[in-house]
Amino acid sequence: MMIITIYVIIAAIFLLTLKAAFGPTVWDRLLALNLISAKTVMLLTAYSVYTGDLRLLDISMSYVIVGFLGVALLSSFILRGGRQK
Amino acid sequence: MMIMISNILLVLCWIYIAFGIVGLFRFRNVYARLLTGSKIDTAAMITLLLALMLRSESWEFSAKLLVILLFIIVTTPVGSHIIARSAFDSGLPVKLIEEEPGLTDSDSEEGGK
Repeated sequence: MMIITIYVIIAAIFLLTLKAAFGPTVWDRLLALNLISAKTVMLLTAYSVYTGDLRLLDISMSYVIVGFLGVALLSSFILRGGRQK
Repeated sequence: MMIMISNILLVLCWIYIAFGIVGLFRFRNVYARLLTGSKIDTAAMITLLLALMLRSESWEFSAKLLVILLFIIVTTPVGSHIIARSAFDSGLPVKLIEEEPGLTDSDSEEGGK
């Protein structure tokens, strides 16, 4: 059950990478980046519970913070400077 | 019993991820993609973390997963709202009424050919 969940999350990350590569606008790529960071957290927590390793949960907690800060700063940068659509 | 509820929640998580990916590739407006992507991804995250909390043995796993769940519930809708606000303030139009006939015309032309 856990193995199938991990494979489903990996397939979703692959499709979202395609979306981030060929997205029509900049905000599609930002949305794909946000979803990829959330899927990375899901993958880390699922693998941590599957192997019984407690230290991976700290790493996933830091991934949540890094993903949120990256999306917020990139969105603010696009709003101020870049006007390409 | 706990493992059974956890399996049901994991199947719900797969269904949410599949609907999110399909909606992300099928919609043509940026705001619709933002809506379906963020909402369904938050639902998948909540169901997966609840399933893992039911599945884990010790209480330390459950406490750390609960902290991650609370942080995800706060930050993921905020990130989606930041992206939508950046798109709207930067001048991306919301064409819900004017875009529908164009879509149907292009679809009918493609279907006719």
